[in-house]
Amino acid sequence: MDTLSYLGQGFGVALSPYNLVTALSGTLIGTVVGLLPGLGPINGVALLIPIAFALGLPPESALILLAAVYLGCEYGGRISSILLNIPGEASTVMTTLDGYPMARQGLAGVALSLSAWSSFIGAFIATCGMVLFAPLLAKWAIAFGPAEYFVLMVFAIVALGGMAGDKPLKTFIAALIGLFLSAVGIDANSGVYRFTGDSVHLADGIQFVVLVLGLFSVSEILLLLEKTHHGHQAIKATGRMLFNLKEAASVFVVNIRCGLLGFIMGVLPGAGATLASAVAYMTEKRIAGTSGHFGKGDARGLAAPETAIGASCCGALVPMLTLGVPGSGTTAVMIGALTLYNITPGPLLFEQQPDIVWGLIASLFIANIMLVILNIPMIRIFTRILAVPNWALVPVIAIITAIGVYAVHATTFDLFLMVGIGIMGYILRKLDFPLSPILLGFILGGLMEQNLRRALSISNGELGILWSSPISMGVWALVAMMLALPLLRIWRKRSQQRRAMADA
Amino acid sequence: MILQRIFALVLLAVCAALAVMAWPYQAAFSYEPVGPRAYPLLMLGLMSLGLLYLAIRPTPIVRKDDEPELDRETLTKIAACIGLLLVFAATFESLGFILSAILAGVPMARLYGGRWLHSVVVVVGMSVFLYWLFDRVMDVPLPLGLLSVLEN
Repeated sequence: MDTLSYLGQGFGVALSPYNLVTALSGTLIGTVVGLLPGLGPINGVALLIPIAFALGLPPESALILLAAVYLGCEYGGRISSILLNIPGEASTVMTTLDGYPMARQGLAGVALSLSAWSSFIGAFIATCGMVLFAPLLAKWAIAFGPAEYFVLMVFAIVALGGMAGDKPLKTFIAALIGLFLSAVGIDANSGVYRFTGDSVHLADGIQFVVLVLGLFSVSEILLLLEKTHHGHQAIKATGRMLFNLKEAASVFVVNIRCGLLGFIMGVLPGAGATLASAVAYMTEKRIAGTSGHFGKGDARGLAAPETAIGASCCGALVPMLTLGVPGSGTTAVMIGALTLYNITPGPLLFEQQPDIVWGLIASLFIANIMLVILNIPMIRIFTRILAVPNWALVPVIAIITAIGVYAVHATTFDLFLMVGIGIMGYILRKLDFPLSPILLGFILGGLMEQNLRRALSISNGELGILWSSPISMGVWALVAMMLALPLLRIWRKRSQQRRAMADA
Repeated sequence: MILQRIFALVLLAVCAALAVMAWPYQAAFSYEPVGPRAYPLLMLGLMSLGLLYLAIRPTPIVRKDDEPELDRETLTKIAACIGLLLVFAATFESLGFILSAILAGVPMARLYGGRWLHSVVVVVGMSVFLYWLFDRVMDVPLPLGLLSVLEN
């Protein structure tokens, strides 16, 4: 019952005219950012952090803005994948499989609105799940001591490698780079300057915004340079803009199933939208069997990944809000934003600042509804944005990125650092390293070290404290499982190959 | 393959150098059993193990279809783009935001295949607009540099 009254209170916060306008502009900005090639939810949210701070938004409005941008970006990404067959980011690859064929059959408007609707249902299911489970998890999380937290963070990092699948080793190395980078700067406990090279600018560490924008924006600018010569023609969205009842009804069961699946995948650290959409698509394809025409414009093939993405985005907010442990790149950025406001996400947030938590949850409902409504009149304008050529877009991205970095500390050192990190990010990308683990490692690194040292201070240096409680034992078991997962997958692949060899 | 080995070995060397750098980190007087040295060394050690494995057995790089082979032309372009970004960073405060954005932005637009006239119009327009938007409307202070004479 408490939960419901808190939720009502949250709607009170989110429905204030000021926050409604914030959410509306957030969804609009997010959609445009998500549309543009080279800008995804991570850049979008990171760019807005310094701006939200400079605008002097109160913390709950800033958080609402960032969440709305997050959802908007995810939505914008699907416009380019449906109309151009270019997935804006990894998670929308599955959307192109059936979305683009639908658009070519003259159902572009239907495909777009149906995807918005699916993602709305997914987000709705996940938000309901969040309302139900988050307070329980938060209550349970209070029992966590420093040792348990440390183990939990180890789990989050390991899960990243275990879930990401095809390149666990590179994922681990990337995460370790992030974990290490978080140690740069003055050590809070002892006052020792670490890895600063006597530079004043590095004394309080590498700025989070600099790292994010360098890794994602600058490296993306360099990547776009390789692809200057492609002329893609967007499919014109004509005819019917809205799906009809029959179409909605035909995918409703798919929506529910994939919504639940996406929520669970979103809550798990490391899994995230990419995996959720892939699993959802594959599952639905198998369930449909021969009755479906997946890959040729089946509405179910569009609804499945979209629902899962919508649900996993909201699901990812659960571990972030309750435990303070982000599960994806974007939620890591949001934690970075919260720390700017001196808010520490974690179990106590629910008790101390219920306005922020429940306002955020309520605004997720509202932002999702806004996206569905906005979608219908705005599709034509959005498709025009897709036609902006790279030569006009890239300098503007570069300039805005520089503004975002300069806004944090107003030093040119940060600009140079950003370019350096960008070059590093570009090389890592060319060598097939995933980048978001670096970000996650960077955010978790500081917390991890603090908790490890605190735990060992309690036990006076005895390492046994790290596996003394039942909770930490349980989490260690999960860690072992996650470590075994990639090995198991490799082993299965090898034995399959061997069988294929034997058959041939 | 070979690139990946070189990369792993270079990063390994960096790890070693950083570990040497971290060795003397010791708190002058301390109340806790774990000092400032342990955590970075632990991370560097784990990273080195991973890199060592990568250097011995590199994983094949999966190339996407739309990703062209890196040729000399693209590499020069990328180097030029990095150079422009550095110029932008270096002149950001001395020339001021608007001028440095134009200085770096116009060649960058050319690099991405824009025509001279189009590039100049778009970049000049956007730099002035963005300056107005961020500095005047949103209160994100940006340096005016040389143009500050025009003010007042």
